[in-house]
Amino acid sequence: MAVRWNWASPRIALIPAMTITAVAFFGAICWTIWISFTRSRRFPDYAIDFADWARQYERLFRDHAWETALKNVLILAIGSALAIVFGFILAAMIEREKRGEGFFRTLFLYPLAVSFIVTGIVWRWMFNPDLGIQGFLRGLGWESANFNWLADPQTAMYGIILASIWHGLGFYMALMLAGLKSINTEIWSAARLDGVSFWRLYIEIIIPMLKFTFLTCAILLSLGVVKTYDIVLAMTGGGPGTSTWTPAYFVINSYAARGNIGYASSAAVIMLLITAALFLPLVLLTAWQARRREAMAR
Amino acid sequence: MTMTAQTASLAAATPRTRRRKRIRGSSIAIMVFLTMCAAFVSVPLYVVIVTSFKTMDQIALGEVFALPTEWTFEPWREAWSEVCAGMTCEGVSRGFWVSMKILFPSLLISIGISSVTGYALALWKIRWAGPFLFILFLCAFVPLQIIMIPLVVLISSLGIFGTIWAVAIVHSILAMPLLTLIFRNFYKDVPEELINAAIMDCGSFWRIFFEIILPMSANIMIVVLILMITTVWNDYLIGLIFGGVGTQPMTVILANTVITSFGEVQYNVDMAAALLTAIPPLVVYFALGKFFVQGITAGAIKG
Repeated sequence: MAVRWNWASPRIALIPAMTITAVAFFGAICWTIWISFTRSRRFPDYAIDFADWARQYERLFRDHAWETALKNVLILAIGSALAIVFGFILAAMIEREKRGEGFFRTLFLYPLAVSFIVTGIVWRWMFNPDLGIQGFLRGLGWESANFNWLADPQTAMYGIILASIWHGLGFYMALMLAGLKSINTEIWSAARLDGVSFWRLYIEIIIPMLKFTFLTCAILLSLGVVKTYDIVLAMTGGGPGTSTWTPAYFVINSYAARGNIGYASSAAVIMLLITAALFLPLVLLTAWQARRREAMAR
Repeated sequence: MTMTAQTASLAAATPRTRRRKRIRGSSIAIMVFLTMCAAFVSVPLYVVIVTSFKTMDQIALGEVFALPTEWTFEPWREAWSEVCAGMTCEGVSRGFWVSMKILFPSLLISIGISSVTGYALALWKIRWAGPFLFILFLCAFVPLQIIMIPLVVLISSLGIFGTIWAVAIVHSILAMPLLTLIFRNFYKDVPEELINAAIMDCGSFWRIFFEIILPMSANIMIVVLILMITTVWNDYLIGLIFGGVGTQPMTVILANTVITSFGEVQYNVDMAAALLTAIPPLVVYFALGKFFVQGITAGAIKG
């Protein structure tokens, strides 16, 4: 009797999690895909007009705001990649120069604890043309100083990138630091004994050894970039015009401001495709790593 | 070969002077660079703190980096209890209490479900545990935007849309896959003999969980708690979409206050409000630094 019960208990315990997965993830994704083929406006409409099933997508790809959003997500990804580069440089320096390690690590990481809304508001203040950094530089006598990035559609995105780097820099540094610490200490002393130069050591030995860490960082960064919403809202509210819209912003805007569920769903489906494209390499790599580790253990 | 041996013995013979000399030059450069980066990271916080203590008259002068000539706590008081967000003027304190009320049920539901699920998947022989974990792994990365509208429909049909429970439940749903993976990774290292012995002792699934597994989970609980507290507290979108007018969390109140303010903008009050919203996660960060890093990286990597 007890054995039978122990067969059943773990399966019963899994019911909540399985329900959530089936309904809130699997079901919801299917619902969104379905709705994206309908004419739903403010309320969902479940009838698909098969003669013109791709109407929302056709409209979407003719929409200039969507084009901007896609372009922005790319700019954001490339720009934010600097956070990984600087994160590595910082980690390498902290690791090399042990002095002040705890202090610097703590300092570089604190922005991560702060929400994107607060980050956005803080940086919006720094970018304030009269009262922020620009005003300060002009007050020092540098009359042509221009730090009013958020007001110009051409540079607003760079402002957001700067703030995202500020927010994420410490996180990539922490990941890289963990990676560097996992490298066998013998490599450092062997390289020193052999007189390998500083640059060769890093470029030819250390970075290749950390390629998996770099890849993890890159994928996490791009998944984060796809979700970028709060910081845009807090810094520019999508403006000037629609110049800082991202796909995540576009979805919320289509849903909340325009009240168009079908349209928002089609944009969300494209977001899902982008996420999947970024995500699959991670899954495959993890599987491959696990298999290799298993093979090595054997 | 001889060269290396020679350098090695040379290095061994004069370890002190050599090492010191080598570290000096590059060391200063590294420290200078690190300090510059530290300035980049800390200047925004400094600017926000000093601004929040300045009077509007001083802010109008435009010296962002200057210390307040006249320290005033008025902006903090106003931000906490008077500032307007949309129609209501009750300060960010209202959001603070709402965020607190959201936090506790979110933590309880999400940690409750995912610890039990992680335990069942890790320690009990369930044939489809592997595929299920894989699906959870996929779910952990789904952006909210993709499932948001159906969740709105679902939550409304449960009749709790616009309440604290709606926000807490959505938080729990979104956190479940990741937390389950974290718990499962932790529990899978529990020795099998221990569980077998416990089963022999007529331990049932739940008794083993409450009497053996939970007491040894302190470490992972802290990690998960930090992860959840910061996620829930810093969330904006879930609170915005699922919270009703009276149940908006602190970030939403803050955003409404700062972004959509009309009339003369009180920058000092805005900055004080931003700081008030940032203080709870910062306290968690500084109090539990070591675990914080662990929590955030566990959340990021294993997800």
